[in-house]
Amino acid sequence: MLLLIAPAAAVLVLFQILPIVIGANASFRDWQLFNPKETWVGLAHYSYILTDRVFLTLVLPNTFLLMFASVAISLGLGLGLAHVLNRNFPGHGLAQTVILLPQMIAPVIAATSMRWTFNDQFGVVAALLRWIGFGQIAWLAERWPSFLIILFTDVWIWTPWFTLILLAALKSLPREPFEAAQIDAAGRWRTFTHVTLPMLRPVIGVCVLIRSIDAFRTFDQVWVLTGGGPARTTEVFSIYAYIETFVNLDFGRGSAAAIIGALIILVVAWTMYKAVDRLTNVSR
Amino acid sequence: MMAQATTTVRGQALATAWLAPAARAALMLLAVVAILLLFLAPVVILVITSLRPGWAVYYIYRGTAFTLQNYLDVFAKPAVVRAFINSFVLATLATIISLGITVTSGYMLSRFSGPIPRAWFGTIYLFRTVPYISWVLPLYLVDYYFGIYDTYAGILLPHIAVHICFFSWIMKGFFDSIDPSMEHAAMIDGCTRWGAFVRVALPSAIPAIAALAILSWLYTWNEFLFALILTGHDTALITVTMAQFVTELGTQWNLMSAMAVLAMGPAVLVTVFAQKYIIQGLRI
Repeated sequence: MLLLIAPAAAVLVLFQILPIVIGANASFRDWQLFNPKETWVGLAHYSYILTDRVFLTLVLPNTFLLMFASVAISLGLGLGLAHVLNRNFPGHGLAQTVILLPQMIAPVIAATSMRWTFNDQFGVVAALLRWIGFGQIAWLAERWPSFLIILFTDVWIWTPWFTLILLAALKSLPREPFEAAQIDAAGRWRTFTHVTLPMLRPVIGVCVLIRSIDAFRTFDQVWVLTGGGPARTTEVFSIYAYIETFVNLDFGRGSAAAIIGALIILVVAWTMYKAVDRLTNVSR
Repeated sequence: MMAQATTTVRGQALATAWLAPAARAALMLLAVVAILLLFLAPVVILVITSLRPGWAVYYIYRGTAFTLQNYLDVFAKPAVVRAFINSFVLATLATIISLGITVTSGYMLSRFSGPIPRAWFGTIYLFRTVPYISWVLPLYLVDYYFGIYDTYAGILLPHIAVHICFFSWIMKGFFDSIDPSMEHAAMIDGCTRWGAFVRVALPSAIPAIAALAILSWLYTWNEFLFALILTGHDTALITVTMAQFVTELGTQWNLMSAMAVLAMGPAVLVTVFAQKYIIQGLRI
Protein backbone atom coordinates (compact mmCIF):
# COMPACT_ATOMS: atom_id res chain seq x y z
CA MET A 1 0.00 0.00 0.00
CA LEU A 2 2.81 2.39 0.90
CA LEU A 3 4.63 1.37 -2.26
CA LEU A 4 1.76 2.75 -4.33
CA ILE A 5 2.27 6.28 -3.05
CA ALA A 6 6.03 6.12 -2.47
CA PRO A 7 7.15 7.86 -5.70
CA ALA A 8 4.45 10.52 -5.46
CA ALA A 9 5.19 11.10 -1.79
CA ALA A 10 8.94 11.37 -2.43
CA VAL A 11 8.52 14.04 -5.11
CA LEU A 12 5.96 15.85 -2.97
CA VAL A 13 8.26 15.94 0.04
CA LEU A 14 11.37 17.02 -1.88
CA PHE A 15 9.84 19.57 -4.21
CA GLN A 16 6.85 20.93 -2.34
CA ILE A 17 7.11 20.34 1.39
CA LEU A 18 10.87 20.88 1.67
CA PRO A 19 10.69 24.24 -0.17
CA ILE A 20 7.84 25.38 2.06
CA VAL A 21 9.91 24.51 5.15
CA ILE A 22 12.93 26.35 3.73
CA GLY A 23 10.72 29.32 2.91
CA ALA A 24 9.21 29.35 6.39
CA ASN A 25 12.69 29.21 7.89
CA ALA A 26 13.95 32.01 5.63
CA SER A 27 11.01 34.22 6.53
CA PHE A 28 12.45 34.59 10.06
CA ARG A 29 15.96 35.45 8.86
CA ASP A 30 17.91 38.27 7.26
CA TRP A 31 18.36 36.54 3.93
CA GLN A 32 19.27 38.72 0.96
CA LEU A 33 19.35 36.51 -2.13
CA PHE A 34 22.97 37.29 -2.89
CA ASN A 35 24.09 38.03 0.67
CA PRO A 36 22.59 35.25 2.79
CA LYS A 37 23.69 36.21 6.32
CA GLU A 38 20.88 34.02 7.61
CA THR A 39 20.82 35.76 10.98
CA TRP A 40 17.64 35.30 12.97
CA VAL A 41 15.42 38.41 12.90
CA GLY A 42 12.27 36.90 14.35
CA LEU A 43 9.02 38.43 13.13
CA ALA A 44 10.65 41.55 11.66
CA HIS A 45 9.68 40.66 8.06
CA TYR A 46 6.13 39.84 9.08
CA SER A 47 5.66 43.10 10.94
CA TYR A 48 7.20 45.00 8.02
CA ILE A 49 4.76 43.48 5.52
CA LEU A 50 1.73 43.73 7.77
CA THR A 51 2.40 47.44 8.19
CA ASP A 52 3.48 48.04 4.60
CA ARG A 53 1.09 50.57 3.05
CA VAL A 54 1.49 49.00 -0.40
CA PHE A 55 0.56 45.58 0.93
CA LEU A 56 -2.40 46.79 2.98
CA THR A 57 -3.91 49.44 0.72
CA LEU A 58 -3.07 48.05 -2.73
CA VAL A 59 -2.03 44.40 -2.78
CA LEU A 60 -4.69 42.90 -0.50
CA PRO A 61 -7.63 44.90 -1.94
CA ASN A 62 -6.47 44.16 -5.50
CA THR A 63 -6.08 40.44 -4.82
CA PHE A 64 -9.51 40.05 -3.27
CA LEU A 65 -11.22 42.38 -5.74
CA LEU A 66 -9.77 40.44 -8.68
CA MET A 67 -10.70 37.13 -7.05
CA PHE A 68 -14.25 38.20 -6.25
CA ALA A 69 -14.99 40.06 -9.49
CA SER A 70 -13.43 37.43 -11.74
CA VAL A 71 -15.24 34.53 -10.08
CA ALA A 72 -18.58 36.36 -9.95
CA ILE A 73 -18.51 37.58 -13.57
CA SER A 74 -17.26 34.32 -15.08
CA LEU A 75 -19.81 32.37 -13.05
CA GLY A 76 -22.63 34.62 -14.31
CA LEU A 77 -21.49 34.47 -17.93
CA GLY A 78 -20.78 30.75 -17.66
CA LEU A 79 -24.30 30.08 -16.37
CA GLY A 80 -25.80 32.08 -19.23
CA LEU A 81 -23.67 30.41 -21.90
CA ALA A 82 -24.27 26.94 -20.48
CA HIS A 83 -27.99 27.65 -20.68
CA VAL A 84 -27.72 28.71 -24.31
CA LEU A 85 -25.52 25.74 -25.25
CA ASN A 86 -27.91 23.35 -23.54
CA ARG A 87 -30.40 23.90 -26.39
CA ASN A 88 -29.98 22.71 -29.90
CA PHE A 89 -29.31 25.23 -32.61
CA PRO A 90 -27.36 25.19 -35.88
CA GLY A 91 -23.63 25.59 -35.25
CA HIS A 92 -23.87 24.12 -31.77
CA GLY A 93 -20.65 22.13 -32.11
CA LEU A 94 -18.73 25.07 -33.54
CA ALA A 95 -19.91 27.29 -30.69
CA GLN A 96 -18.66 24.79 -28.15
CA THR A 97 -15.26 24.59 -29.84
CA VAL A 98 -14.87 28.37 -29.87
CA ILE A 99 -15.92 28.68 -26.24
CA LEU A 100 -13.44 25.99 -25.22
CA LEU A 101 -10.50 27.74 -26.87
CA PRO A 102 -9.65 30.42 -24.23
CA GLN A 103 -9.30 27.72 -21.59
CA MET A 104 -6.73 25.83 -23.64
CA ILE A 105 -4.53 28.76 -24.67
CA ALA A 106 -1.70 29.81 -22.36
CA PRO A 107 -2.67 32.73 -20.08
CA VAL A 108 0.56 34.39 -21.17
CA ILE A 109 -0.59 34.32 -24.80
CA ALA A 110 -4.03 35.61 -23.87
CA ALA A 111 -2.50 38.44 -21.86
CA THR A 112 -0.09 39.27 -24.68
CA SER A 113 -2.93 39.49 -27.14
CA MET A 114 -4.94 41.70 -24.77
CA ARG A 115 -1.94 43.94 -24.26
CA TRP A 116 -1.72 44.42 -28.00
CA THR A 117 -5.48 44.82 -28.43
CA PHE A 118 -5.58 47.52 -25.75
CA ASN A 119 -2.38 49.24 -26.91
CA ASP A 120 -3.20 52.93 -26.49
CA GLN A 121 -1.97 53.98 -29.95
CA PHE A 122 -2.12 51.03 -32.29
CA GLY A 123 -4.54 48.67 -30.59
CA VAL A 124 -7.83 47.65 -32.15
CA VAL A 125 -9.83 48.99 -29.19
CA ALA A 126 -8.11 52.37 -29.41
CA ALA A 127 -8.95 52.52 -33.12
CA LEU A 128 -12.55 51.62 -32.37
CA LEU A 129 -12.79 54.34 -29.73
CA ARG A 130 -11.25 56.90 -32.08
CA TRP A 131 -13.74 55.90 -34.73
CA ILE A 132 -16.65 56.41 -32.33
CA GLY A 133 -15.20 59.77 -31.36
CA PHE A 134 -13.52 59.25 -28.01
CA GLY A 135 -10.03 60.59 -27.54
CA GLN A 136 -6.98 58.50 -26.91
CA ILE A 137 -6.95 56.70 -23.57
CA ALA A 138 -3.68 55.55 -22.03
CA TRP A 139 -5.24 52.33 -20.72
CA LEU A 140 -2.23 50.79 -19.11
CA ALA A 141 -0.95 54.02 -17.56
CA GLU A 142 -3.80 54.34 -15.08
CA ARG A 143 -4.91 52.14 -12.24
CA TRP A 144 -8.53 51.27 -12.93
CA PRO A 145 -8.34 50.86 -16.70
CA SER A 146 -5.34 48.55 -16.17
CA PHE A 147 -7.24 46.65 -13.52
CA LEU A 148 -10.27 46.32 -15.80
CA ILE A 149 -8.12 44.91 -18.59
CA ILE A 150 -6.61 42.35 -16.19
CA LEU A 151 -10.12 41.45 -15.01
CA PHE A 152 -11.39 41.21 -18.59
CA THR A 153 -8.52 38.88 -19.52
CA ASP A 154 -9.14 36.70 -16.49
CA VAL A 155 -12.85 36.49 -17.24
CA TRP A 156 -12.08 35.63 -20.86
CA ILE A 157 -9.84 32.78 -19.75
CA TRP A 158 -12.11 31.34 -17.06
CA THR A 159 -15.66 31.75 -18.38
CA PRO A 160 -15.22 28.63 -20.56
CA TRP A 161 -14.36 26.54 -17.52
CA PHE A 162 -17.58 27.53 -15.73
CA THR A 163 -19.55 27.09 -18.96
CA LEU A 164 -18.34 23.54 -19.59
CA ILE A 165 -18.79 22.30 -16.04
CA LEU A 166 -22.23 23.90 -15.67
CA LEU A 167 -23.25 22.59 -19.09
CA ALA A 168 -22.32 19.08 -18.04
CA ALA A 169 -24.27 19.59 -14.80
CA LEU A 170 -27.32 20.95 -16.67
CA LYS A 171 -27.33 17.94 -18.99
CA SER A 172 -27.29 15.54 -16.07
CA LEU A 173 -30.29 17.15 -14.30
CA PRO A 174 -33.48 15.04 -14.16
CA ARG A 175 -36.31 16.08 -16.53
CA GLU A 176 -39.23 15.70 -14.11
CA PRO A 177 -38.88 18.94 -12.09
CA PHE A 178 -38.82 20.95 -15.34
CA GLU A 179 -41.94 19.19 -16.62
CA ALA A 180 -43.64 19.83 -13.29
CA ALA A 181 -42.72 23.52 -13.52
CA GLN A 182 -44.11 23.65 -17.05
CA ILE A 183 -47.38 22.08 -15.93
CA ASP A 184 -47.60 24.66 -13.15
CA ALA A 185 -47.16 27.32 -15.86
CA ALA A 186 -43.95 28.72 -14.44
CA GLY A 187 -42.26 31.20 -16.76
CA ARG A 188 -38.74 30.73 -18.02
CA TRP A 189 -37.17 33.02 -15.44
CA ARG A 190 -39.07 31.46 -12.55
CA THR A 191 -38.11 28.00 -13.74
CA PHE A 192 -34.50 29.11 -13.82
CA THR A 193 -34.46 30.72 -10.36
CA HIS A 194 -36.70 28.18 -8.61
CA VAL A 195 -35.81 24.90 -10.31
CA THR A 196 -32.49 25.07 -12.17
CA LEU A 197 -30.47 27.16 -9.72
CA PRO A 198 -31.33 25.20 -6.57
CA MET A 199 -30.45 21.94 -8.34
CA LEU A 200 -27.16 23.38 -9.59
CA ARG A 201 -26.21 24.79 -6.19
CA PRO A 202 -23.79 22.01 -5.14
CA VAL A 203 -21.91 22.18 -8.46
CA ILE A 204 -21.77 25.98 -8.35
CA GLY A 205 -20.48 25.84 -4.79
CA VAL A 206 -17.62 23.49 -5.64
CA CYS A 207 -16.75 25.48 -8.79
CA VAL A 208 -16.62 28.76 -6.87
CA LEU A 209 -14.44 27.20 -4.16
CA ILE A 210 -11.88 25.72 -6.57
CA ARG A 211 -11.80 28.77 -8.79
CA SER A 212 -11.45 31.19 -5.84
CA ILE A 213 -8.41 29.33 -4.53
CA ASP A 214 -6.84 29.53 -8.00
CA ALA A 215 -7.83 33.16 -8.56
CA PHE A 216 -6.08 34.17 -5.34
CA ARG A 217 -2.71 33.18 -6.82
CA THR A 218 -3.16 34.80 -10.26
CA PHE A 219 0.25 35.72 -11.62
CA ASP A 220 0.73 35.23 -15.37
CA GLN A 221 -1.87 37.65 -16.71
CA VAL A 222 -0.99 40.44 -14.30
CA TRP A 223 2.74 40.02 -14.87
CA VAL A 224 2.45 40.21 -18.66
CA LEU A 225 -0.22 42.93 -18.78
CA THR A 226 1.03 45.43 -16.20
CA GLY A 227 3.78 43.82 -14.11
CA GLY A 228 1.87 45.23 -11.13
CA GLY A 229 2.15 48.78 -12.43
CA PRO A 230 1.56 51.60 -12.98
CA ALA A 231 3.32 52.52 -9.72
CA ARG A 232 2.40 49.18 -8.06
CA THR A 233 -1.33 50.00 -8.21
CA THR A 234 -2.36 46.69 -9.79
CA GLU A 235 -0.05 44.47 -7.77
CA VAL A 236 -1.62 41.26 -6.48
CA PHE A 237 -0.26 38.96 -3.81
CA SER A 238 1.81 36.68 -6.09
CA ILE A 239 3.40 39.66 -7.84
CA TYR A 240 4.22 41.29 -4.47
CA ALA A 241 6.06 38.18 -3.23
CA TYR A 242 7.85 37.79 -6.57
CA ILE A 243 8.99 41.43 -6.64
CA GLU A 244 10.23 41.33 -3.03
CA THR A 245 12.29 38.23 -3.85
CA PHE A 246 13.58 38.66 -7.38
CA VAL A 247 13.50 42.42 -7.92
CA ASN A 248 14.40 43.65 -4.43
CA LEU A 249 16.42 40.42 -3.96
CA ASP A 250 15.20 40.02 -0.39
CA PHE A 251 14.48 36.32 -0.04
CA GLY A 252 13.55 36.62 3.64
CA ARG A 253 10.91 39.27 3.10
CA GLY A 254 9.60 37.60 -0.05
CA SER A 255 9.21 34.32 1.83
CA ALA A 256 7.38 36.07 4.66
CA ALA A 257 5.00 37.58 2.09
CA ALA A 258 4.48 34.15 0.52
CA ILE A 259 3.73 32.58 3.92
CA ILE A 260 1.29 35.35 4.86
CA GLY A 261 -0.52 34.86 1.54
CA ALA A 262 -0.65 31.09 2.01
CA LEU A 263 -2.11 31.50 5.52
CA ILE A 264 -4.72 34.00 4.28
CA ILE A 265 -5.92 31.71 1.48
CA LEU A 266 -5.97 28.70 3.81
CA VAL A 267 -8.31 30.56 6.16
CA VAL A 268 -10.45 31.88 3.30
CA ALA A 269 -10.62 28.46 1.62
CA TRP A 270 -11.54 26.77 4.90
CA THR A 271 -14.36 29.27 5.54
CA MET A 272 -15.65 28.86 2.00
CA TYR A 273 -15.39 25.08 2.24
CA LYS A 274 -17.60 25.15 5.34
CA ALA A 275 -20.07 27.46 3.60
CA VAL A 276 -20.20 25.27 0.49
CA ASP A 277 -20.66 22.20 2.65
CA ARG A 278 -23.66 23.81 4.35
CA LEU A 279 -25.14 24.97 1.04
CA THR A 280 -24.82 21.48 -0.39
CA ASN A 281 -26.42 19.87 2.61
CA VAL A 282 -29.28 22.37 2.73
CA SER A 283 -30.22 21.66 -0.87
CA ARG A 284 -30.25 17.93 -0.31
CA MET B 1 -69.09 32.61 -44.18
CA MET B 2 -68.39 31.45 -40.64
CA ALA B 3 -66.08 28.81 -41.92
CA GLN B 4 -64.19 31.34 -44.01
CA ALA B 5 -63.66 33.65 -40.98
CA THR B 6 -62.29 30.84 -38.88
CA THR B 7 -59.82 29.84 -41.53
CA THR B 8 -58.51 33.42 -41.84
CA VAL B 9 -58.11 33.71 -38.08
CA ARG B 10 -56.43 30.37 -37.95
CA GLY B 11 -54.22 31.43 -40.87
CA GLN B 12 -53.15 34.59 -39.03
CA ALA B 13 -52.47 32.70 -35.83
CA LEU B 14 -50.37 30.25 -37.81
CA ALA B 15 -48.42 33.07 -39.43
CA THR B 16 -47.54 34.78 -36.13
CA ALA B 17 -46.85 31.49 -34.46
CA TRP B 18 -44.48 30.66 -37.25
CA LEU B 19 -42.90 34.12 -37.43
CA ALA B 20 -42.24 34.53 -33.72
CA PRO B 21 -39.98 31.49 -33.34
CA ALA B 22 -38.15 32.45 -36.53
CA ALA B 23 -37.48 35.97 -35.22
CA ARG B 24 -36.46 34.59 -31.87
CA ALA B 25 -34.17 32.07 -33.51
CA ALA B 26 -32.59 34.84 -35.59
CA LEU B 27 -32.08 36.98 -32.50
CA MET B 28 -30.59 34.06 -30.65
CA LEU B 29 -28.27 33.27 -33.55
CA LEU B 30 -27.14 36.90 -33.63
CA ALA B 31 -26.39 36.86 -29.91
CA VAL B 32 -24.48 33.60 -30.23
CA VAL B 33 -22.43 34.93 -33.14
CA ALA B 34 -21.61 38.11 -31.19
CA ILE B 35 -20.47 36.11 -28.17
CA LEU B 36 -18.38 33.77 -30.30
CA LEU B 37 -16.71 36.73 -32.01
CA LEU B 38 -15.84 38.15 -28.61
CA PHE B 39 -14.32 34.83 -27.59
CA LEU B 40 -12.41 34.54 -30.83
CA ALA B 41 -11.25 38.16 -31.06
CA PRO B 42 -7.94 37.90 -29.17
CA VAL B 43 -6.95 34.85 -31.21
CA VAL B 44 -7.98 36.44 -34.51
CA ILE B 45 -6.11 39.65 -33.68
CA LEU B 46 -2.96 37.64 -32.96
CA VAL B 47 -3.27 35.67 -36.20
CA ILE B 48 -3.80 38.80 -38.30
CA THR B 49 -0.90 40.59 -36.59
CA SER B 50 1.37 37.61 -37.21
CA LEU B 51 0.61 37.78 -40.93
CA ARG B 52 1.42 41.48 -41.32
CA PRO B 53 4.80 42.69 -42.55
CA GLY B 54 6.78 44.74 -40.02
CA TRP B 55 5.95 48.10 -41.60
CA ALA B 56 2.19 47.45 -41.64
CA VAL B 57 1.83 45.95 -38.19
CA TYR B 58 0.70 49.15 -36.48
CA TYR B 59 -2.65 49.40 -38.21
CA ILE B 60 -3.67 45.80 -38.51
CA TYR B 61 -7.24 46.71 -39.43
CA ARG B 62 -6.10 48.78 -42.40
CA GLY B 63 -4.44 47.68 -45.64
CA THR B 64 -4.13 44.27 -47.23
CA ALA B 65 -0.41 43.51 -47.10
CA PHE B 66 0.09 40.00 -45.77
CA THR B 67 3.20 37.86 -45.51
CA LEU B 68 4.52 34.66 -43.96
CA GLN B 69 7.92 36.28 -43.42
CA ASN B 70 7.34 36.67 -39.64
CA TYR B 71 7.14 32.91 -39.22
CA LEU B 72 10.38 32.43 -41.15
CA ASP B 73 12.06 35.16 -39.08
CA VAL B 74 10.91 33.59 -35.82
CA PHE B 75 12.19 30.18 -36.83
CA ALA B 76 15.51 31.69 -37.88
CA LYS B 77 16.16 32.51 -34.21
CA PRO B 78 17.96 29.57 -32.55
CA ALA B 79 16.63 30.65 -29.14
CA VAL B 80 13.04 30.27 -30.31
CA VAL B 81 13.61 26.85 -31.85
CA ARG B 82 15.35 25.68 -28.69
CA ALA B 83 12.48 26.99 -26.56
CA PHE B 84 9.98 24.99 -28.61
CA ILE B 85 12.06 21.82 -28.29
CA ASN B 86 12.52 22.35 -24.54
CA SER B 87 8.83 22.94 -23.96
CA PHE B 88 7.91 19.88 -26.00
CA VAL B 89 10.31 17.59 -24.17
CA LEU B 90 9.33 18.99 -20.77
CA ALA B 91 5.57 18.72 -21.37
CA THR B 92 5.87 15.16 -22.66
CA LEU B 93 8.13 13.90 -19.86
CA ALA B 94 6.15 15.69 -17.14
CA THR B 95 2.90 14.18 -18.42
CA ILE B 96 4.18 10.62 -18.65
CA ILE B 97 5.94 10.61 -15.29
CA SER B 98 3.29 12.43 -13.29
CA LEU B 99 0.51 10.24 -14.67
CA GLY B 100 2.64 7.19 -13.93
CA ILE B 101 3.13 8.04 -10.29
CA THR B 102 -0.32 9.47 -9.57
CA VAL B 103 -2.25 6.57 -11.07
CA THR B 104 -1.07 4.28 -8.27
CA SER B 105 -1.56 7.01 -5.70
CA GLY B 106 -5.15 7.60 -6.88
CA TYR B 107 -5.81 3.85 -6.86
CA MET B 108 -4.53 3.59 -3.32
CA LEU B 109 -6.78 6.48 -2.21
CA SER B 110 -9.79 4.88 -3.85
CA ARG B 111 -9.37 1.27 -2.71
CA PHE B 112 -7.74 1.35 0.71
CA SER B 113 -8.98 2.83 3.94
CA GLY B 114 -7.29 3.51 7.25
CA PRO B 115 -5.06 6.16 8.76
CA ILE B 116 -2.39 6.20 6.02
CA PRO B 117 -4.72 6.85 3.05
CA ARG B 118 -6.61 9.38 5.17
CA ALA B 119 -3.37 11.20 6.03
CA TRP B 120 -2.27 11.13 2.39
CA PHE B 121 -5.60 12.50 1.23
CA GLY B 122 -5.43 15.27 3.85
CA THR B 123 -1.91 16.20 2.71
CA ILE B 124 -3.00 16.37 -0.92
CA TYR B 125 -6.05 18.42 -0.06
CA LEU B 126 -4.01 20.88 2.00
CA PHE B 127 -1.19 21.35 -0.50
CA ARG B 128 -3.61 21.87 -3.37
CA THR B 129 -4.55 25.12 -1.62
CA VAL B 130 -1.03 26.51 -1.06
CA PRO B 131 -0.37 29.23 -3.66
CA TYR B 132 2.38 28.30 -6.16
CA ILE B 133 4.43 31.37 -5.34
CA SER B 134 4.81 30.20 -1.73
CA TRP B 135 6.85 27.18 -2.70
CA VAL B 136 8.34 28.16 -6.02
CA LEU B 137 10.37 30.98 -4.43
CA PRO B 138 12.34 28.63 -2.13
CA LEU B 139 12.32 25.99 -4.86
CA TYR B 140 14.80 28.24 -6.62
CA LEU B 141 17.21 27.61 -3.73
CA VAL B 142 16.40 23.89 -3.58
CA ASP B 143 17.31 23.61 -7.25
CA TYR B 144 20.59 25.36 -6.49
CA TYR B 145 21.40 23.06 -3.54
CA PHE B 146 20.75 19.97 -5.66
CA GLY B 147 22.76 21.49 -8.51
CA ILE B 148 19.86 21.15 -10.94
CA TYR B 149 19.02 24.82 -11.55
CA ASP B 150 18.58 25.46 -15.27
CA THR B 151 18.59 21.77 -16.16
CA TYR B 152 15.70 19.63 -17.35
CA ALA B 153 15.45 17.93 -13.95
CA GLY B 154 15.27 21.31 -12.22
CA ILE B 155 12.03 22.24 -13.99
CA LEU B 156 10.67 18.72 -14.56
CA LEU B 157 10.57 17.58 -10.92
CA PRO B 158 8.74 20.70 -9.66
CA HIS B 159 6.21 20.29 -12.48
CA ILE B 160 5.59 16.71 -11.40
CA ALA B 161 5.17 17.94 -7.82
CA VAL B 162 2.51 20.43 -9.00
CA HIS B 163 0.54 17.66 -10.63
CA ILE B 164 0.68 15.17 -7.77
CA CYS B 165 -2.02 16.72 -5.58
CA PHE B 166 -4.53 17.51 -8.28
CA PHE B 167 -4.01 14.33 -10.31
CA SER B 168 -4.14 11.98 -7.32
CA TRP B 169 -7.43 13.57 -6.44
CA ILE B 170 -8.82 13.21 -9.98
CA MET B 171 -7.50 9.65 -10.37
CA LYS B 172 -9.21 8.73 -7.11
CA GLY B 173 -12.43 9.90 -8.75
CA PHE B 174 -11.75 7.74 -11.82
CA PHE B 175 -11.24 4.61 -9.73
CA ASP B 176 -14.19 5.44 -7.47
CA SER B 177 -16.45 5.21 -10.51
CA ILE B 178 -15.13 1.72 -11.42
CA ASP B 179 -16.81 -1.17 -9.66
CA PRO B 180 -14.21 -2.94 -7.45
CA SER B 181 -16.05 -6.30 -7.54
CA MET B 182 -14.24 -7.25 -10.77
CA GLU B 183 -10.91 -6.87 -8.99
CA HIS B 184 -12.15 -8.92 -6.04
CA ALA B 185 -13.16 -11.65 -8.49
CA ALA B 186 -9.72 -11.51 -10.10
CA MET B 187 -8.06 -11.81 -6.69
CA ILE B 188 -10.20 -14.79 -5.75
CA ASP B 189 -9.07 -16.41 -9.00
CA GLY B 190 -5.47 -16.07 -7.86
CA CYS B 191 -4.47 -12.62 -9.04
CA THR B 192 -2.33 -10.56 -6.70
CA ARG B 193 -3.50 -7.08 -5.67
CA TRP B 194 -0.96 -5.62 -8.09
CA GLY B 195 -2.18 -7.96 -10.84
CA ALA B 196 -5.77 -6.94 -10.18
CA PHE B 197 -4.76 -3.31 -10.49
CA VAL B 198 -2.75 -3.71 -13.71
CA ARG B 199 -5.02 -6.21 -15.48
CA VAL B 200 -8.48 -5.18 -14.31
CA ALA B 201 -8.71 -1.68 -12.88
CA LEU B 202 -6.15 0.09 -15.07
CA PRO B 203 -7.64 -0.85 -18.47
CA SER B 204 -11.05 0.49 -17.43
CA ALA B 205 -9.49 3.79 -16.36
CA ILE B 206 -7.54 4.32 -19.61
CA PRO B 207 -10.05 6.66 -21.37
CA ALA B 208 -10.21 8.96 -18.37
CA ILE B 209 -6.43 8.90 -18.02
CA ALA B 210 -6.06 9.81 -21.71
CA ALA B 211 -8.24 12.88 -21.15
CA LEU B 212 -6.13 13.86 -18.17
CA ALA B 213 -2.94 13.31 -20.20
CA ILE B 214 -4.03 15.84 -22.81
CA LEU B 215 -4.84 18.45 -20.19
CA SER B 216 -1.61 17.77 -18.31
CA TRP B 217 0.47 18.16 -21.45
CA LEU B 218 -1.19 21.46 -22.36
CA TYR B 219 -0.94 22.72 -18.81
CA THR B 220 2.84 22.17 -18.73
CA TRP B 221 3.22 23.63 -22.23
CA ASN B 222 1.32 26.76 -21.13
CA GLU B 223 2.87 27.20 -17.67
CA PHE B 224 4.66 30.47 -16.95
CA LEU B 225 5.55 31.13 -13.29
CA PHE B 226 7.73 28.04 -12.78
CA ALA B 227 9.43 28.62 -16.11
CA LEU B 228 10.10 32.23 -15.18
CA ILE B 229 11.79 31.37 -11.88
CA LEU B 230 13.36 27.95 -12.44
CA THR B 231 14.75 28.15 -15.97
CA GLY B 232 17.63 30.15 -17.31
CA HIS B 233 19.41 30.34 -20.61
CA ASP B 234 19.88 26.59 -21.13
CA THR B 235 16.32 25.41 -20.60
CA ALA B 236 14.33 28.46 -21.74
CA LEU B 237 10.68 27.58 -22.42
CA ILE B 238 8.27 29.09 -24.94
CA THR B 239 6.14 31.10 -22.51
CA VAL B 240 9.13 32.91 -21.04
CA THR B 241 10.84 33.36 -24.40
CA MET B 242 7.64 34.86 -25.75
CA ALA B 243 7.17 37.19 -22.82
CA GLN B 244 10.71 38.45 -23.41
CA PHE B 245 9.68 39.67 -26.85
CA VAL B 246 7.40 42.14 -25.10
CA THR B 247 10.11 43.83 -23.08
CA GLU B 248 13.25 43.48 -25.15
CA LEU B 249 11.75 43.84 -28.59
CA GLY B 250 8.72 45.84 -27.48
CA THR B 251 8.03 47.10 -30.96
CA GLN B 252 8.18 43.79 -32.84
CA TRP B 253 4.57 42.82 -32.33
CA ASN B 254 4.50 40.95 -35.63
CA LEU B 255 7.26 38.52 -34.59
CA MET B 256 5.82 38.07 -31.13
CA SER B 257 2.40 37.30 -32.57
CA ALA B 258 3.92 34.75 -34.92
CA MET B 259 5.54 33.02 -31.97
CA ALA B 260 2.30 33.21 -29.98
CA VAL B 261 0.33 31.68 -32.85
CA LEU B 262 2.85 28.83 -33.11
CA ALA B 263 2.75 28.36 -29.34
CA MET B 264 -1.02 28.04 -29.30
CA GLY B 265 -0.97 25.54 -32.17
CA PRO B 266 -1.24 22.45 -29.93
CA ALA B 267 -4.07 24.07 -27.96
CA VAL B 268 -6.05 24.75 -31.13
CA LEU B 269 -5.41 21.26 -32.53
CA VAL B 270 -6.51 19.64 -29.29
CA THR B 271 -9.58 21.87 -29.00
CA VAL B 272 -10.72 21.00 -32.51
CA PHE B 273 -9.87 17.29 -32.60
CA ALA B 274 -9.94 16.05 -29.01
CA GLN B 275 -12.77 18.16 -27.67
CA LYS B 276 -14.73 15.26 -26.25
CA TYR B 277 -11.77 14.09 -24.19
CA ILE B 278 -11.06 17.55 -22.84
CA ILE B 279 -14.62 18.23 -21.78
CA GLN B 280 -14.62 14.92 -19.99
CA GLY B 281 -11.32 15.78 -18.32
CA LEU B 282 -12.38 19.26 -17.25
CA ARG B 283 -15.29 17.91 -15.22
CA ILE B 284 -14.09 17.86 -11.69
